[in-house]
Amino acid sequence: MIPGANKEEKKRNPRLEDIKDTAKLLVKNKLALTGLIISSFYIFFAILDVIYPQYLGVGPGVVTTLTRFTGPNIVLAPPTDPTFSKGWYYFLGTTYANIPLLPAMLAALYNDIWDSAIVVGSGAVIGILVGTFSGYFGKIVDELVMRITDIFFSIPYLIFAIIMVTVLARVFAADNITIPPLTIISVSLIVIWWPTYARLTRSITLSVKSQKFIEASTASGSSRVRNVVVHVIPNVLSPVFVQISLDIGNVILLFATLAFLPLTFLNLNEFTPELGSMISSSETYMLGPGWFSAVIPAVFLLIFTISINLFGDGLRDVLDPKLRR
Amino acid sequence: MITQEEIKTEQGKVPYIEVKNLVTRFFTSKGIVKALENVSFKIYPGEVYGLVGESGCGKSVTSTSIMDLIPDPPGRILDGEIFIDNFNILSDLKSLAKIKVRSETDVKIKRNKSAIKRHNFILSKIRGNKISMIFQEPFLALNPTISIGKQISEVILLHNIIGMADSIIKRETMKTTDVDELLEQLAEINDYSMRKKIINQWTRNFGIPDLEASITSLLDHVTDQKYVAEQIAHMIEENQREINIDRIKEIRDYYTIERKIFELTLNQIQFERTGEIKKAQEAKAKIRAYKAMSKKKYFKLRLEMRFFSKRVLAIFHKEARRRVLELLTLVNLAGPEVVIDEYPHELSGGMQQRAMIAMALASNPKMLIADEPTTALDVTTQAQILELIGELNKVMGMSVLFITHDLAVIAEMCNKVGVMYAGNIVEETTTEEIFNDPKHPYTVGLMNSLPRADKKREKELKFETIPGNVPNLITPPPGCRFHPRCKFAMDICSLKKPKLTEVSENHKVACFLYSNESEDDVA
Amino acid sequence: MELKYYIIRRLLVLIPTLLGLLLLTFILLDALPKSFLIEQFVNHKLPIPAQNLEKQQAITTLGLNLSPPEQFLIYVNNLIHGNWGFMYPNSEGYGSYYSGPVLAGIMEYFPVTLEIAIFAVIFSIVIAIPLGTYIGSKPNSVSDQVGRVFSLSGYAMPTFFLALVLQIAINPYFPSFISGQGYPSYTHLSWIKSISGTEVSTPTHMLVFDSLLHGDFSLAAVAFGHLVLPVLALSYGFLAGLLRFIRAGMVDASNQEYVKTARAKGVPEKQVLRKHVRKNALLPSITVFGLVFSGLLGGAVVIEEVYDLNGLGRFGLSTVSGGYIQFFGILGTTLFFGIVLVMANLIVDVLYALMDPRIRY
Ligand SMILES: Nc1ncnc2c1ncn2[C@@H]1O[C@H](COP(=O)(O)OP(=O)(O)OP(=O)(O)O)[C@@H](O)[C@H]1O
Ligand code: SF4
Ligand SMILES: [Mg+2]
Repeated sequence: MIPGANKEEKKRNPRLEDIKDTAKLLVKNKLALTGLIISSFYIFFAILDVIYPQYLGVGPGVVTTLTRFTGPNIVLAPPTDPTFSKGWYYFLGTTYANIPLLPAMLAALYNDIWDSAIVVGSGAVIGILVGTFSGYFGKIVDELVMRITDIFFSIPYLIFAIIMVTVLARVFAADNITIPPLTIISVSLIVIWWPTYARLTRSITLSVKSQKFIEASTASGSSRVRNVVVHVIPNVLSPVFVQISLDIGNVILLFATLAFLPLTFLNLNEFTPELGSMISSSETYMLGPGWFSAVIPAVFLLIFTISINLFGDGLRDVLDPKLRR
Repeated sequence: MITQEEIKTEQGKVPYIEVKNLVTRFFTSKGIVKALENVSFKIYPGEVYGLVGESGCGKSVTSTSIMDLIPDPPGRILDGEIFIDNFNILSDLKSLAKIKVRSETDVKIKRNKSAIKRHNFILSKIRGNKISMIFQEPFLALNPTISIGKQISEVILLHNIIGMADSIIKRETMKTTDVDELLEQLAEINDYSMRKKIINQWTRNFGIPDLEASITSLLDHVTDQKYVAEQIAHMIEENQREINIDRIKEIRDYYTIERKIFELTLNQIQFERTGEIKKAQEAKAKIRAYKAMSKKKYFKLRLEMRFFSKRVLAIFHKEARRRVLELLTLVNLAGPEVVIDEYPHELSGGMQQRAMIAMALASNPKMLIADEPTTALDVTTQAQILELIGELNKVMGMSVLFITHDLAVIAEMCNKVGVMYAGNIVEETTTEEIFNDPKHPYTVGLMNSLPRADKKREKELKFETIPGNVPNLITPPPGCRFHPRCKFAMDICSLKKPKLTEVSENHKVACFLYSNESEDDVA
Repeated sequence: MELKYYIIRRLLVLIPTLLGLLLLTFILLDALPKSFLIEQFVNHKLPIPAQNLEKQQAITTLGLNLSPPEQFLIYVNNLIHGNWGFMYPNSEGYGSYYSGPVLAGIMEYFPVTLEIAIFAVIFSIVIAIPLGTYIGSKPNSVSDQVGRVFSLSGYAMPTFFLALVLQIAINPYFPSFISGQGYPSYTHLSWIKSISGTEVSTPTHMLVFDSLLHGDFSLAAVAFGHLVLPVLALSYGFLAGLLRFIRAGMVDASNQEYVKTARAKGVPEKQVLRKHVRKNALLPSITVFGLVFSGLLGGAVVIEEVYDLNGLGRFGLSTVSGGYIQFFGILGTTLFFGIVLVMANLIVDVLYALMDPRIRY
């Protein structure tokens, strides 16, 4: 080997190169690209609502309940057909209680995306910390963490979510704390979600830990905490990112499902801006002419979950070193 | 093993394998890997041909190309001819796919599915039958969920059903006159080894090799001819199983038609290549007729074989198992009766490689490709495996294409050596010459990198290496691919590609130092 | 023999996990206000002294006079002795919610879930294996892309929406598929009698299998008809999961060296797939079965709600519905779901061990 032969290689930033390659491959994967484009569109609206809450009238602080769209006196009424004459609010008609469907859906989307992002994000952060440290330090801590995650995996998470949500809602109600039902769901889901990430990162940590460069850096006096932060965590990021992109869809579905089920303690009603509860509230109209008021939000949700799944799946393929050519 | 003299007179002989201008590429997202560039060589029957070169120079790609096992995607053989036993397996290469290269990273490949199907059909009859292959890592190369015995007998059942059926039929329909014939034959011969040979052939012929030992000892110890004949007839009768001869005949006939279809397909391809359209169409019509006939006549048999193949072919499985035991003994596996039912993970690396070799030998191919068969093994096992391969070459006259980057192994095993560099064969000659008179600067470099005991002491530990790295094959250096690392590089070297030319008898080199091409030729 | 020890060892490891699950649920429930739990047992129509008596009774049954650790230990002790606690009559929706001993309730509701789960699993496997083998053998082809969208839609589809759409889409054509009053749990024999005219014993507690055992094919057909939509709705997610894993397994297995060996032996393409790739692809798919099965059990909750089936999911929901939080009901449901899932995983692991020659205990 000529001493100078590798100089050129060293100048390049390998991580940056990697990201560039990933992006290139991702663009070639048509399905993943489609998924990315469509889901970015959804996310764009969710972000737009934060930056210009007044613009669509559905941002934070503007909409916590759909009664904003109904006017002061609420009248339950069957859905009305789409119309283009009354402005964009009514492009998709109205749903129960004269709520204009389109802005209501955007408001619900805003809640769904942000809440699930928070759930998955916090779940991932907790999971990464627990997983990497327990994997790296091993021994009793590791054993304990694994047994705890075992417990979470020993029951379908929907069941756990139902119980958790109900109990939390009742506990808060007793203490006279008013917490929006969606927040209660978020909190419950974070508790349920971190073990997935802990498992994932732990297994990667174990394989990174056995590699030579870790030994070398320990030998050169690097502390163990520093090792985890500098060497292990960067290595777990890309699989975690894939998992996040697949989980966002899962968590949104879970929100919708919990909103759909008759969980009386949760106080979710037809005025909570949430796609699942909108669907279940207009379920009764599904057999009649107002079917669209249930189907449109459902399809709207479905398109998002499919796209984000397509993206996540494509990302996994692209990041898989075995499939990289 | 053929001697050096024989190699010198090879001109008159027909090579078993002939590779001509082979071009193989990999179309990857980073660009086109020009893995092989006009590789040509010949391997004669009984020869051990060594292929050496640094890692990544295309040795494995050469061997997989010969088997036509290049993974697609990403790879494809683009051009060339590979004659195996006089049949060019790449005859229909041009019809398999249309490749449009727009840029390095943008290549459109349009595959012709029916042509590929036909091509695979032809090759499935050649691979494992006329030529077989063993790999670097036997543990990965053996299927973890199938027992060793089943993996080996699979080859036998694939290629030897007709022969097996014939011998079964012979055995089952054997008469006392057959025994008498043997005795008559033996009566005139006194030479012990000759007698043994005849008995061996006879038992093999009638599909009763198990009985060889007992018949021999019987003949050796008992002189009463009548008694012997009776005993042998009795033994054979015991060995005959109650089986349905008609069924076996039916199976044999079915496979005979299959073989006929295969031969006709070969003809068709050859006619297509030579442009004799009419004859090709005739062959095609015949194939169709045979296929229709086979479908109609053997409808029930085909159905049964699809779903109850184990039961239909039970007797063949049994025969194959016996042959597997023989093979396992042949490759010196201890306790073949145990090994046959074991799974790959239960064997050591050396045993696994022996099992691989047994598998490669199962259908008596004339050629074995060994791609670094000992790299993954420990030193003692390495020596044993090498010895085994050498023996097979000597005893069975099998040609071997031996791939390695260990020059010591080359010296020990091979008659002839091809040196590869970055997708080209840069030098080809006899083993003797390569060590005594290496010509190509790359070969010289390789030789110098060997630790030599006979040189002066102080030099012993400090052997030279070739400077630089193997080039990236996506953007290989123009001209001679070795020129960035060559001490003797001239102007022409970066402009023009040297051809592999004969510089002396049996010595070919691709280097401008040895050719008299003038620089004027540069376009 | 060795397998027996393996199973016993696995079972022993499961016990702490299940205990941990109970403990976690218990801690969660412990956060509930005590007065709320007690109020649930009190019939407010009774005179005050009687109400006070009921309160006293509730405190002792719930063990609220004891410390939480003591409560937990006593609960576990009762569990072992077959006393899983009691679910109290729900004054609001009396009759539509289960009341009575928890274990008896679970035993009554579980067969329905088991039945749809069995059919869903069979259906999914029957579809997923050939389909997954096929698309996995041609990665990145058009059929692979279609398969990818199909299975990712399965992940992305809200189960309740699929169930609703199926109901609405099929209702006009095959009204008999949809049971207005729901699929009977085995104790409600009146429904069975009305069809076959005679009373039926219920050895399996599953209507389809019971009627088959009695040779009553028309009843079996009717019962099965009621299950078609729930099974379809429940299968999609499970099928999608299996399909993805089998496909990935196929792609992975076809890139292995031994597949190259098989080709080098002269094995024809079709046989390579059948003999060498498929088995090695399906084996690892077995191990993810448990993971996907968890999703299926969760889906059952939603399906039973939409199709009005009295299954375990329904039972679980009823423990937190109608203004009541059934302390023992929740603990029992969690434990039982845990047992089902954990046992399913164990069975899958044992199957895997039996089928893969590489695994010895
Ligand atoms: N599947 C593939 N995809 C892309 N490139 C490939 C593939 N297989 C081989 N190559 C390329 O072809 C070239 C030759 O590889 P090959 O495996 O033949 O080397 P080799 O001489 O056998 O080396 P070694 O001694 O390490 O086995 C390498 O540059 C490699 O990158
Ligand atoms: S052709 Fe030129 S560069 Fe290539 S080996 Fe010969 S002298 Fe060296
Ligand atoms: Mg190689």
